[in-house]
Amino acid sequence: MNHMVKMWLEQGKVDVFLGYKRVDGHPLPHVFSKDNLADVDELITGPARYPLEKIAAAIISEKPDIKIGLLARDCGQRTLNVLHVWNQLNTDSISVLNVPCCPSNLKEHADCSYLEPEKRGPDKQIHGFDNNMSIDDVESYKPKERFERWMYEFQKCIKCYGCRNICPVCFCKECSLEHHDLIEAKDLPPEVPIFHLVRAVHMAGRCIDCGLCEDACPADIPLRLLYRKVNQVVKDVFDYETGTSTHQPPFSVLGEKVTLELKPLKTVSMDL
Amino acid sequence: MTNSISEIEGAGCIFVIGSNTTACHPLIARRIFRAKENGAKLIVADPRRIQLSRFADIAVNHRLGSDVALLNGMMHIIIKNNWQANDYIQQRTEGYDDFGKTVEAYTPEKVKDITGIEPRDLEKMAELYATHPPASLLYAMGITQHTTGVDNVKSCCNLALLCGNVGIPSAGVNPLRGQNNVQGACDMGGLPNVLPGYQPISDQDVIKIFSKAWGKSIPSQVGLTITDMIPAILEGRLKALYVIGENPKLSDPDWNHLHHALKELDFLMVQELFLSETAQVADVVFAAASVAEKDGTFTNSERRCMRINKAVEPIGDALQDWDIICRLSTAMGYKMAYDTPEDIFNEITALTPKSYGGMTYERLGINGLQWPCPELDHPGTPYLHKDRFPRPSGKAQFHAIGYRDPAEIPNHEYPYFLTTGRMFAHFHTGTMTRITPKLDAEQRTGYVDIHPNDAAALEIEDGDMTVISSKRGEMEAPARITDSVSPGTLFLPIHFGENPTNVLTNSKAFDPLAKIPEFKVSTVNIKKFS
Amino acid sequence: MDYKFIPSVCSYCGTGCGVLFQVMDGKLMGTMPLKTHPVNEGKLCIKGWNLHEHVNSGNRLKHPLVRMNGHFRPATWEKAIEFASNRLKEIIGKYGPDSVGVLVSAKITNEENYLAQKFARACIGTNNVDHCARL
Repeated sequence: MNHMVKMWLEQGKVDVFLGYKRVDGHPLPHVFSKDNLADVDELITGPARYPLEKIAAAIISEKPDIKIGLLARDCGQRTLNVLHVWNQLNTDSISVLNVPCCPSNLKEHADCSYLEPEKRGPDKQIHGFDNNMSIDDVESYKPKERFERWMYEFQKCIKCYGCRNICPVCFCKECSLEHHDLIEAKDLPPEVPIFHLVRAVHMAGRCIDCGLCEDACPADIPLRLLYRKVNQVVKDVFDYETGTSTHQPPFSVLGEKVTLELKPLKTVSMDL
Repeated sequence: MTNSISEIEGAGCIFVIGSNTTACHPLIARRIFRAKENGAKLIVADPRRIQLSRFADIAVNHRLGSDVALLNGMMHIIIKNNWQANDYIQQRTEGYDDFGKTVEAYTPEKVKDITGIEPRDLEKMAELYATHPPASLLYAMGITQHTTGVDNVKSCCNLALLCGNVGIPSAGVNPLRGQNNVQGACDMGGLPNVLPGYQPISDQDVIKIFSKAWGKSIPSQVGLTITDMIPAILEGRLKALYVIGENPKLSDPDWNHLHHALKELDFLMVQELFLSETAQVADVVFAAASVAEKDGTFTNSERRCMRINKAVEPIGDALQDWDIICRLSTAMGYKMAYDTPEDIFNEITALTPKSYGGMTYERLGINGLQWPCPELDHPGTPYLHKDRFPRPSGKAQFHAIGYRDPAEIPNHEYPYFLTTGRMFAHFHTGTMTRITPKLDAEQRTGYVDIHPNDAAALEIEDGDMTVISSKRGEMEAPARITDSVSPGTLFLPIHFGENPTNVLTNSKAFDPLAKIPEFKVSTVNIKKFS
Repeated sequence: MDYKFIPSVCSYCGTGCGVLFQVMDGKLMGTMPLKTHPVNEGKLCIKGWNLHEHVNSGNRLKHPLVRMNGHFRPATWEKAIEFASNRLKEIIGKYGPDSVGVLVSAKITNEENYLAQKFARACIGTNNVDHCARL
């Protein structure tokens, strides 16, 4: 792999390559270039996960002609696809080096993410959600109880905006979370549950289930679960497969065309 | 902090008093949430209903300035129920008998009269703290910014000692530091009575060591605290002030008083990132580099010394603070010449053998090291006082502390209690946060929190401009009606220069020992602006 | 193009969260949490996430200022240092070293705090050294 990256840089297939390098024992994101080819020997693929695609998009917005290579796991691939579908990134200027998904026993209900699923404390399981739950497990709670559990989780929010800031597919210049008519600016926690539901709605047809939001959440709110549910609704109602579909979601409201095409006939559950 | 931040997660009970942790130390609040979700008990005592109160097993709103009574009351109940750690008290402490006698008087009924806390609630607090070891006590300025600040801290220590909670993991007495390097500023001798490493000015041997190292004889008379400097200026004893990276004009009590004092100075020199309120009245302003523009180390609340690394060149002609000090000192005839902050660090570690002695830049890496770290192979110290306390006897001292009223108690002229603090999106005097668009957007102006009952009685509606006055002066702020404050109590954030909260606070009321001003309690009146 | 991630520590509260500064061609672009840091484990608060903003602020002081006839004038470092040291020397000569006070800072580095108190004690000759721990 390191050989390949060196070759790409030498041959000019890419101008820079986004990967990781160990610094003082910490895997940190690193930009490799032709000027520091020797560094490529130190390229590692993990175990860190930073939003490399978001960083690539930011670089391209400043330097439109640059060619970027980067490491991508399955979620990274989906990110690039979503950014492309939403006209945020011209993927022609991106070369991807696939890396296997993190070894995870969560694989049956997740494509990658947690290197080691963290054990969730007993009290979280009493009042909120175990972050590793499946949607089916969540829906086994009665609606009232489910609601109360979500309210518990949302009340821990310290309004860091980390979920949005780290999100590789959050690219809006103006963010509804900062719209004071939608969400009252006051003390902590931010207006419950509106703050998190506004974000959840905006994740519909966009969230690629990388789990970086939950990773960045100081309060361990099961955000990934929430957005996964939202995308399940998108799938059930609109038959749209976020991350792999090659067109924008049918309910896109960007630009002039507004389409809301329902998938024909099927009873669906829309509650959280 | 006696213990480490990550250790909070392993606590059996967490007692938060005088800290709005989710707003002021959010990444420590994270550890509290996680401990709670691991099954720890959570006790929250704060005059306001804060975000953490929602998650507490017991949350109380005690009257402003009544912390000593509250803590004595808890200890009274613990001893009554024989929940104290007898072996620990015997082996590791002294002064228990006198202390026990003092606490005996603090019956739940008496404590209720002072604090307003129901005996049943106090019982529960005592029981949870004493019967779920290890118990970690966390506090911030809500404990220290009082005329009884030292008493409050000692009472916190008494409680921890009583239950054997000092010197073990996941327990301890843990003050949460409000500034990134307030710990380091103290460690480095930024105090009038100690040299680096808390080596006392009063010790002739210490004076000798430093005089030799610095090639200059060091004065052995203890200097003035910040609180003493203001009267010294007004009395003409202090003529020049060199202020580095601080904005005392907004952060000090009784703004009018200080404003006057700064004008009396012959010479004011300010080293800053911005033209702060204090810099605006200076004679010379030095443009300093920011955190991203320099190398060096910060020491956090848990005594972890960590490196910061220069990411970009300083803006304009700005210089790193150490470079400015070297230039000034050399120009004054005392040569200071260093190539890098690392050279300075090596000088520090040589002079602070017991705390920083075993640290080098290479060893610090990214994780840093927690002092004491006396040897090059010492791994650092996650929690203090494991085997002995740093006193001649090696034992910890109980202090017999009686309750004293705060300097001001509401009267007919000033019928409201006022307390001050921070809000989540802003920091201290706002010099860094108010110019940050995303933070400014969260809260653009000052405000006063007032309880719905008080607002109704004064016919104040949400957003109405109000005038708040104290013996010192008056200011205006829009009202924010909220039940996070109790009836009869107002809260003002300290970040907003155009609503300078410290016009109202009391510069004459401070702790006699620590000289910390009583920001957390003063009395005021409020009315609708007309 | 030069793009770097520089590990550092947040300069707001005393928690000491690990951050990564994102630097592109010498310009500070953003702040990210350091994922594997022992204090914050890859999380930050709203202030930490925006740490770079105050660095880039247009309100930053870009050069020393010296007050002349009541007004600030931009000055070179040589001029500003000379002005300050002359005034200080004058005051010390007239009123003694204890007529000077130094407020060190809870915001600057250990190295800088060390030098600031060394300046007060060894250069000026006073223990009038304090900082805002109390405020």
